[in-house]
Amino acid sequence: MIWILFAVGFWAAAWSVNLALARMNLRGAARLIIPAIFGMTLLVIWEGFVRGLNVSPVILPPPSAIALRFGAEMPTLWADFSQTFLKGALRGYAIGCAAAFVTAIAIDRSPFLKAGLLPIGNFISALPIVGIAPILVMWFGFDWQSKSAVVVVMVFFPVLVNTIAGLSATVPMQRDLMATYGASYAQTLVKLRLPAAMPFIFNGLKIATTLALIGAIVAEFFGSPTVGMGFRITAEVGRLGLDMVWAEIAVAALAGSGFYAVIALIEKRVTFWHPSQRNEPT
Amino acid sequence: MKKLLTAALFGVFATSAHAADDVTLQLKWVTQAQFAGYYVAAAKGFYEAEGLNVTILPGGPDVAPTQVLAGGGADVVVDWMPSALAAREKGLALVNIAQPFKSSGMMLTCLKESGVATPADFKGKTLGVWFGGNEYPFLNWMNKLGLKTDGTDVTVLKQGFNVDPLLQKQAACVSTMTYNEYWQVIDAGVKPEDLVTFKYTDEGVATLEDGLYVMEDKLADPAFEDKMVRFVRASMKGWKYAEANVDESAQIVIDNDATGAQTIEHQTRMMGEIAKLTAGSNGALDEADYKSTVAALMSGGSDPVITKEPTGAWTHAITDKALQ
Amino acid sequence: MRRLVPILTVLLVIVVIWYVAAARMNAAWSYDQAARAGGAVPTVAQIVALSMNQERPVLPTPHQVAQELYKSTFGLKVTSKKSLIYHGWITLSATLLGFAMGTGLGMILAVGIVHNRAMDASVMPWAIASQTIPILAIAPMIIVVMNALGIQGLIPKAIISAFLSFFPVLVGMVKGLRAPERGDLDLMATYFASSSQILWKLRLPASMPYLFTSLKVGIAASLVGAIVGELPTGAVAGLGARLLSGSYYGQTVQIWAALFAAALMAAGLVAAIGWIEVRTLRRMGMVR
Repeated sequence: MIWILFAVGFWAAAWSVNLALARMNLRGAARLIIPAIFGMTLLVIWEGFVRGLNVSPVILPPPSAIALRFGAEMPTLWADFSQTFLKGALRGYAIGCAAAFVTAIAIDRSPFLKAGLLPIGNFISALPIVGIAPILVMWFGFDWQSKSAVVVVMVFFPVLVNTIAGLSATVPMQRDLMATYGASYAQTLVKLRLPAAMPFIFNGLKIATTLALIGAIVAEFFGSPTVGMGFRITAEVGRLGLDMVWAEIAVAALAGSGFYAVIALIEKRVTFWHPSQRNEPT
Repeated sequence: MKKLLTAALFGVFATSAHAADDVTLQLKWVTQAQFAGYYVAAAKGFYEAEGLNVTILPGGPDVAPTQVLAGGGADVVVDWMPSALAAREKGLALVNIAQPFKSSGMMLTCLKESGVATPADFKGKTLGVWFGGNEYPFLNWMNKLGLKTDGTDVTVLKQGFNVDPLLQKQAACVSTMTYNEYWQVIDAGVKPEDLVTFKYTDEGVATLEDGLYVMEDKLADPAFEDKMVRFVRASMKGWKYAEANVDESAQIVIDNDATGAQTIEHQTRMMGEIAKLTAGSNGALDEADYKSTVAALMSGGSDPVITKEPTGAWTHAITDKALQ
Repeated sequence: MRRLVPILTVLLVIVVIWYVAAARMNAAWSYDQAARAGGAVPTVAQIVALSMNQERPVLPTPHQVAQELYKSTFGLKVTSKKSLIYHGWITLSATLLGFAMGTGLGMILAVGIVHNRAMDASVMPWAIASQTIPILAIAPMIIVVMNALGIQGLIPKAIISAFLSFFPVLVGMVKGLRAPERGDLDLMATYFASSSQILWKLRLPASMPYLFTSLKVGIAASLVGAIVGELPTGAVAGLGARLLSGSYYGQTVQIWAALFAAALMAAGLVAAIGWIEVRTLRRMGMVR
């Protein structure tokens, strides 16, 4: 009971600190304090409730146990990370996003293809991609190639749909202006429509970062070599090594957040002009 | 008014005492003839006759029965002994209360064309294995053969839940059960003479498979113990009925399969194979089998599945009462 | 008619590629079978013919999938456990419930983030982190925990699907709620509008195009969540269970049929949202 009370008390204290901090208009790296405190709170609540309610460690281990295992299993975690993230997810992400971008531009150029491919693309984008993971594993073998293939398929359509939406984001008046300048198709594309599409494209790219990691991990559930985050998770659940499972989940969360942050940073540089990126009180 | 309320309350308690006791059973895998005994006992009213209301939860590739048991999601689970003993060593006190399966059905099935004829040929090959608690018998066997499974001697591949790696020739051998995956290979059009099969029993590395496990602390409760006695009695009745009535049992399994993916032919054949494995067990764990399982699991060279002899991992208390 | 021609052309190309791919991918098996059977090496024409109708093909041909799809939707009673309509309904109910929960959560969080500085700074990074958690890994845990609490069936699946669908809505809504230009906000300020008035009269209407784009992603994600949630529940029922059992028994035709059923459902759901989007935006004067 005392653990739960402590957790709730900690939460209340942390929240008021955060409110105060938010009012102080922190700049730069200091802004990171707020989410860090929030995260700390979540962990303390987790630890408090697991200990307070005597939850069995094979159901939900406390964060402290996970951290210990994390520290002890660094080499394994790194091997899994490089297999799943560096080999599977990143390559698939790059190929998938590039392919989607090129396809979007190609479709945009040809009204015939746009009319033909867009409805079909929409249809396929709605496909629950998880379902094709077993099929792709069957086709591309067990190593990272099949994981990349799943990632390519998973990220392709969100990026495609967003890019196409972005390319039609200009208002007629802006396009008319380009026409009065005598701009060619390519000029209009590069100088008006692509920049205008960037917020949408980055929206797609950001959604794709999380999809990429999930795709690579999920594909490992359907067959894999004996290394990889998805493999470790299934194997350890069976061995009741739930602390290891959560350590892998923590790696996934860290890798995914880092990946997302990188894309968000690039977005900030590229779409500095968009109202949502302006650094002023909203 | 107060009297009336008390009377009503007593009435509720009285009826609930007579109402069937709830038991939740977590299976190790999806609904199939491997678990026919329990479905038969439910369909034939054996559980009802014992005053039990049994809920059967099918398993799946991501369900660890031990975890469900620990979480209180089930009263009793079907699991393999290696994974149960490994869980016990991890501090989860599982107790075997009955062992309906006498023999092991686990095999490694290889394509003849891959050049595997004896276990000595495994070196340098890719072998498919199930993980999630089912890898222990395999790892144990490889340890015994002195083969490293980290890729230097054999490449281990986590196979999904089908035999595709063998059919697509991504692996030289895959894990199969006598009653299921082996027949999927045959059904896919591969002839038995094109296959080389190693039974774990023949290789001397067999471990006990489907047994019934409960939490040790719950067993201390006489009411729970009584419930389990009745459960085991009815379940064994179901198993013996299933052994004797293969076709009918297969149909019962089909009726209980909510996915609609099972075929009667496959289940009838599976039931026939399962009957061979349950034959010779009256439900009570054979201590000699237990000892040989433990010995096999502890013998595993540098990386044994369990490091010390387990104590209290099984009991005859339930079966003694159930089978009088 | 003019709109149909390009679609049909592309479809035709896809079907042709599909048949060629099926013939190539299934041929290896046909050769092996012929070799195992002994006798003469079959001709290419024979191999192609054999590849079209295998029982467990690597890639089923379109007509096999269509046959299976037809058989399991119209050929059976709706209540039959082999009927895809029965399984589809189970998945759909979890999807819709999860989508409603996810959309609600996403919108509430987005409004909170736009209005509360502390939430802005603290919630967003963790919302992103939450999406990097491999859902398939925690899905069994959610189900085990819920099971321990005595909740089974629809709710755990809906929670998994809400978990996947709230994120696109959150991202889109935050972006949309911040879409009004400085000038618009200043105008509201000169009207002395309260922040709730700004929300209702400026921010929400301005966010609509973003909202609908995210809703389309969200409903598809929601369906994925429901399907993923069905995998570890022990393959009881639903399209996910069909996929799993199809994969388990190596019945590729059944996998593809379930996949197409799921895709059709997803397309239907997305189309429904698209229809609402066009209607809404037209009434709001945002598209012509």
